Amino acid sequence: MGTVTAADPHPSFLADKDAKVFVAGHRGLVGSAILRRLLALGFTSVVVRTHAELDLTRQADVEAFFAAERPRYVVLAAAKVGGIHANSTFPADFIAANLQIQTNVVDAALRCGSVRKLLFLGSSCIYPKFAPQPITEGALLTGPLEPTNEWYAIAKIAGIKMCQAYRIQHGLDAVSAMPTNLYGPHDNFHPENSHVLPALIRRFHEAKACNAPEVVVWGSGSPLREFLHVDDLADATIFLMDQYSGLEHVNVGSGSEVTIKELAELVKEVVGFQGKLVWDSTKPDGTPRKLMDSSKIHEMGWKPKVDLKQGLVETYKWYVENVISDMK
Amino acid sequence: MLGSAIHRRLTSLGFTNVVGRTRAELDLACEPSVRKFFDAERPRYVILAAGKVGGLHASSAAPVDFMTENLRITTNVLTAARLCGSVRKLLFLASSAVYPVDAPQPIPESALLTGPPAPGNEWYAIPKIVGMKMCQAYRLELGMDAIVAAPNNLYGPRDPFPSESSHVIPALIRRFHNAKVTGAGEVAVWGSGYQLREFTHADDAAEAVVLLMDRYSGDEHVNVGSGREVTVRELAEMVREVVGYEGRIVWDTNRPDGVMRRLVDSSKMRAMGWEPKVELRDGLVKLYRGYLRGRVTNFKA
Repeated sequence: MGTVTAADPHPSFLADKDAKVFVAGHRGLVGSAILRRLLALGFTSVVVRTHAELDLTRQADVEAFFAAERPRYVVLAAAKVGGIHANSTFPADFIAANLQIQTNVVDAALRCGSVRKLLFLGSSCIYPKFAPQPITEGALLTGPLEPTNEWYAIAKIAGIKMCQAYRIQHGLDAVSAMPTNLYGPHDNFHPENSHVLPALIRRFHEAKACNAPEVVVWGSGSPLREFLHVDDLADATIFLMDQYSGLEHVNVGSGSEVTIKELAELVKEVVGFQGKLVWDSTKPDGTPRKLMDSSKIHEMGWKPKVDLKQGLVETYKWYVENVISDMK
Repeated sequence: MLGSAIHRRLTSLGFTNVVGRTRAELDLACEPSVRKFFDAERPRYVILAAGKVGGLHASSAAPVDFMTENLRITTNVLTAARLCGSVRKLLFLASSAVYPVDAPQPIPESALLTGPPAPGNEWYAIPKIVGMKMCQAYRLELGMDAIVAAPNNLYGPRDPFPSESSHVIPALIRRFHNAKVTGAGEVAVWGSGYQLREFTHADDAAEAVVLLMDRYSGDEHVNVGSGREVTVRELAEMVREVVGYEGRIVWDTNRPDGVMRRLVDSSKMRAMGWEPKVELRDGLVKLYRGYLRGRVTNFKA
């Protein structure tokens, strides 16, 4: 028969910078970092919507948005997030809202027909509480979850499975990335529901500002944690959008651990608080150790660049310039 | 199937105000419709037995259909039940499919999330696990009396009998019946036949649901299983006899068995006074009769 011309292969993400990219959750810690990175890389058509402009928990609104905008790429970084306290106080809100957001976005992405690739961001809390460390991707669902955030975790697990289901049944190029504990600019520094690192920054800063004699931190300080600067995560996300189309989710971590005690001391130093650091060991510690095995993404060729101390210095600077308005 | 068994039981117990909607009347996957329905009807009690079912093969062939629809149904009903303000108690039907493949047998409630559900079945199981966790979350945050029952391998009358089903009992009935009417010499069944299975009649499960609604307000889900195990060989023989097929059964041992045993520990349910009453043979006889009636109706149409 006649000559068959090879179909032009689709350009990879990084060769497709004029294509429309929808970043869901662009105001949060992760979404804002990804947005910054995309713009810095020269993407010309990045679409965002605030919660007030587009409530992702509303199915009809999300469908209408996708039908109108027809993005080629979707980064799903929108979620309802919070620390131990928030999760245990509002479990129903956490689980329902996150499920709705995920289901609506992934399904609308398929139905509108224009989406070539979708990346879903999860969290390391999807893994079993007692998963062998470092935690590999294969540990998923092999044991019970950490009770204090199992609601958020089960919703995220459903999100991973949803991406797999859409790939298997409809060939949607949907991938999932699971970051370790993140920190950086635009984090949530709220006293009640922030995660440990921003909470420490805030508390040491406030103690410095009012010359408090000491800062009391919950727990023993002995749990081990891994932290990754959000700019590194943004970089990894773009790397995966460009190069990964596998069924399995991908861990994104730095590979380096610190104890909460080392972290607290580092934050104290960076903030410049001169008082005492006291540990209230009557309060819970949370998970004893959490280190991801990120060899999968490291072997693909991606490595983090931001060192913890340097990252803390930059984050504290951002906090002072953007969060503190009239503290004095 | 289970929903209609529950409906029957409630009606026979004298409940005067049982509300149900067909799929055509109310699409539970459509959030605004569910909200409107709950705000209009304001039920005091809710039993959530709706969902896409179909067994391991159906689930592996259509992962999205199972996941998206079932997640939406669960989220919509629980959210609407909470928001309308009238619901005093809600029961969510989960399934033994939530348990890991290598769970200890009989499977206790505590086996949940100690391992992954059977590969291929996760698209059905994950939404069920999510529903179970949602009920716990709603109880914790809102004080909603949301409970969960986890039946094992239900069978029973369904109207209409599906033309395609990979649930083993209806599949065997149909295949033996077809072999009988076409005069086929043999029926091939997959696997060795030595796998043990527990089957629970929908009427017995309905009775358990009613008991749970009346007496149980615990955080943990409750297994609902007949406690009677048969090998698939014994089951096939029973179906053959009930249908009256006189040919041979041939075992295709090249095909996979699935798990060798799947029995849930229903001592929690039994301790509440529940006793399954339907003997497997009697259940099969009634089911076959119903199947024949359905076929006659279809033939006439």
